[in-house]
Amino acid sequence: MTRYIVRRLLQAIPLLFIISVVLFILMRSSGDPVATLGGRRNPRPEDRERLTRLLGLDQPLYVQYIYWLIGNDWTMIDLDGDGVAETPGQQKGVLRGEFGTSLVVRGKPAMEVILERIPYTLLLMIVSEVVIIFFSLVIGVFSALRQYSLLDHLITGLSFLGYSMPIFFVALVSMYLFAVEFKSWGLPYLPTGGVFEPQEGNTLLQVALHLVLPVTSIAVVSIAGYSRFVRATMLEVLGEDYIRTARAKGLRKRTIIFLHALKNASLPLVTIVGLDIPMLLGGAVVTERIFAWPGTGRLFLDHVSRGDTPVVMGILMLIAVAVIIFQLITDITYAWLDPRIRYN
Amino acid sequence: MKSKLWKIVAAWVVITMLASSAACVTPAAPTITPAPTQAPTTAPGATKAPQPTAVEPTKAAPTKKIITFAWTQEPDSLNPWYTNMWFSTTLHQLFLAWAWEFDDKNVPFPRLVTEIPSLENGGVSQDGLTITMHLRDDIVWSDGKPITSADFVFTYDMVMAEANSVTSQYPYDYLESIEAPDERTVVMHFSKPFAAWKALFWRGVLPKHVLEPVFQAKGSLQEAEWNMAPTVGCGPYNFAEWESGSYIRFVKNPNYWGPAPKIDEIYFKIVPDDASQTAALIAGDADVGAFIPLSDVPTLKGKGVIIMVESSGYAEGLFFNFRDMANPGARDLKVRQAIAMAIDREAINRDLLLGLSHAPETLWDPLAIYGYVSPDIVPWKYDPAAAKDLLEKAGWIDRDGDGIRENAKGEKLTLVYGTTIREIRQDTQAVIQQQLKQVGIELKLVSQEADIFFGSFSDGAACAVGSVDIMQWSDAPYFPDPDKDYWLCDQVPNADNPWGWNYFGCDPRLDELFKKQLTLMDEKERARVIQEISKYMHDQVYWYGLWDDPDYWAVNARLTGVKFSGVTPLYNIAEWDVK
Repeated sequence: MTRYIVRRLLQAIPLLFIISVVLFILMRSSGDPVATLGGRRNPRPEDRERLTRLLGLDQPLYVQYIYWLIGNDWTMIDLDGDGVAETPGQQKGVLRGEFGTSLVVRGKPAMEVILERIPYTLLLMIVSEVVIIFFSLVIGVFSALRQYSLLDHLITGLSFLGYSMPIFFVALVSMYLFAVEFKSWGLPYLPTGGVFEPQEGNTLLQVALHLVLPVTSIAVVSIAGYSRFVRATMLEVLGEDYIRTARAKGLRKRTIIFLHALKNASLPLVTIVGLDIPMLLGGAVVTERIFAWPGTGRLFLDHVSRGDTPVVMGILMLIAVAVIIFQLITDITYAWLDPRIRYN
Repeated sequence: MKSKLWKIVAAWVVITMLASSAACVTPAAPTITPAPTQAPTTAPGATKAPQPTAVEPTKAAPTKKIITFAWTQEPDSLNPWYTNMWFSTTLHQLFLAWAWEFDDKNVPFPRLVTEIPSLENGGVSQDGLTITMHLRDDIVWSDGKPITSADFVFTYDMVMAEANSVTSQYPYDYLESIEAPDERTVVMHFSKPFAAWKALFWRGVLPKHVLEPVFQAKGSLQEAEWNMAPTVGCGPYNFAEWESGSYIRFVKNPNYWGPAPKIDEIYFKIVPDDASQTAALIAGDADVGAFIPLSDVPTLKGKGVIIMVESSGYAEGLFFNFRDMANPGARDLKVRQAIAMAIDREAINRDLLLGLSHAPETLWDPLAIYGYVSPDIVPWKYDPAAAKDLLEKAGWIDRDGDGIRENAKGEKLTLVYGTTIREIRQDTQAVIQQQLKQVGIELKLVSQEADIFFGSFSDGAACAVGSVDIMQWSDAPYFPDPDKDYWLCDQVPNADNPWGWNYFGCDPRLDELFKKQLTLMDEKERARVIQEISKYMHDQVYWYGLWDDPDYWAVNARLTGVKFSGVTPLYNIAEWDVK
């Protein structure tokens, strides 16, 4: 198993390198950071020319990539525009742990910009994922055990409804209903957005209240899909021979369902969740935007539209690394769940 | 088994309901150490240091007045020279001050200076090459140090220092030199008269005693903490904290040199989505919102939110490309005039903009009260028959019967019409395409993201290389100054000058007029030249106005004394109060 893990990790290195090259090329080709500088008015030509030079954007693409990867403090750059490189560079490069400074939030290291938002993203997504897994399992198992009952049909119908609704629709409707209308009707209401009311402060209760609507929006669509999935795999497993044997041996129902059936039924679910988790870092872009949640999804959107390569590459590489690590964890979890699986 | 599952589900439902019912009766709870890291933007200890009003956001005293703004974009920097964003510069009137600011009629009034320099009071020399400013003697920074002419000279030095790589050096690069003969006087020397000085100079001042040590230590101001946490300022409010992605907080400045503000704390919550902003305004989670979408205006009004409109000089219009590579139709004056008569602007304003705006005739309409618009302009009327007639007489006839006109050489009247992806623009494109089809003009539509559409010539961006014949976006002169430098001949982008922004073309007469008006320090003389420009551009259809683009503000009815300016929007923030 150890050799397997080490082999996988070594394979990841060329993979990450290729990913970084592709993403960098895509990112730099998709827009000019000094085109609008986020303002209503376009920058003056002299300023655009000056900034392009000072931010290192006038270099050819492969040179920009090399500076991004290994820094430019080993060479001179031309800061004053006379064509002669005279100033030593300041960047250390990704391989030495520095993702560069943001082009939008000038002067701030890209990693710092990202790390400020990651805790919020993790909070939102971990809570969402826990809620999704819990309810998917509960609803899926319940549906499987009560197959074709009235309740099962009701749950099926609601699942299809939930699954077909776009997330922004769920988000906006729930916001208008529970935050705006409930307040005007005098009922207990939820806040419209943010992490906490600035006046109330960063308390546990405030954060919990502000989490309700975003988590619900994210969870509704996923639960609808996953619960169907769990239901299907449970039904398949419940028909297996070893379940019949367990019943014949007189084991308690609870033991059969949770220890034998669910453990086997959850194998495919582990794959899906394992793919989902690294996407958590990318954040729920739509939900974060609508509920003004300061996560990395919104950060990504804001900075991509302004061509901020260092920050965007930082987020993308984080996600790439997370995907690789979590794929590995998923495979190991497989081996734990199913002793029949061996990796050598 | 069944009962256990039900118990679990029921427990969750009950917990959720309890939590939400607790929402409306939540008293201010004591602050628990937050799990998300406090954004490292506040200078360490700065919020606790000399400010006696540094407030912990917890036990809100019942009489504390707090208002919340909903900001749809988060500022990229609070240093005036590291940002181009309206959402950042609009905060200046809270924690900084300009040398002179502008009121709700966009008329300037002195702020840091005793009076605005002019030809009459001698502040502007007769030859227009020297401007002298006298500073007030009671102005102090929030830490008590006086604001002096040294701060102004320092600001100039910092803007011009290459190592700082500021966003724009304009208009400080026009100055030949600047000096401070004494603590209260600043003298600016120009090599040529620069008529736009009043609108553009001293939009903020940097504190020398705070930033000079930073510049000397690091060699640049780019990474100065002050850029993201300007704890030393000179406005009615002090910067308190900036929780990245969430909000920015300002508190009353106890050392403010002007009349004390009435509101104690102001929050700027970042609410990126327009629908969420409207929901927050209706629910009262935000008191003020900016750039309200027109479609939400009736809803907000219906819920008792006050809508205020203030022009900041912007208008949405069509820019015509008459460079060499443009379609021969776009280069033909008769075609442009026909287009001006073939677009039903009234219908666009009525149907797409809910009748809340109207079409301007020139870029200077928002400045009409200053006499910059020629009274001889005859507005373009919607008259498709006259348009068809004009095209026929100009030799653009549909010879092959496909509905699109050609000229004698057989070149089709097919123009490329481009804009950004904003929904209202996409709708407008569709409508105009239909309307021009009626008169035999075909439009090919292009729509791209802003940073691609406005990219540079070297990137091959569409407008810069001249592949778009009709370009649409919202623009303004250097409001409140009438200067506009888009049509200068030396700004046409090409291989030698890839940064030029004259995407439209070189008209020598227009070029001369624009250059001339910038040197006329006498305001009446200058207004005459601008009038001439406005009429010429209107008749040549170089720019065709579609709709006014003023700023729409939403204000909660509990606020009083609220006024907005188009230049320094929050100019009277110290007078705002809550009922």
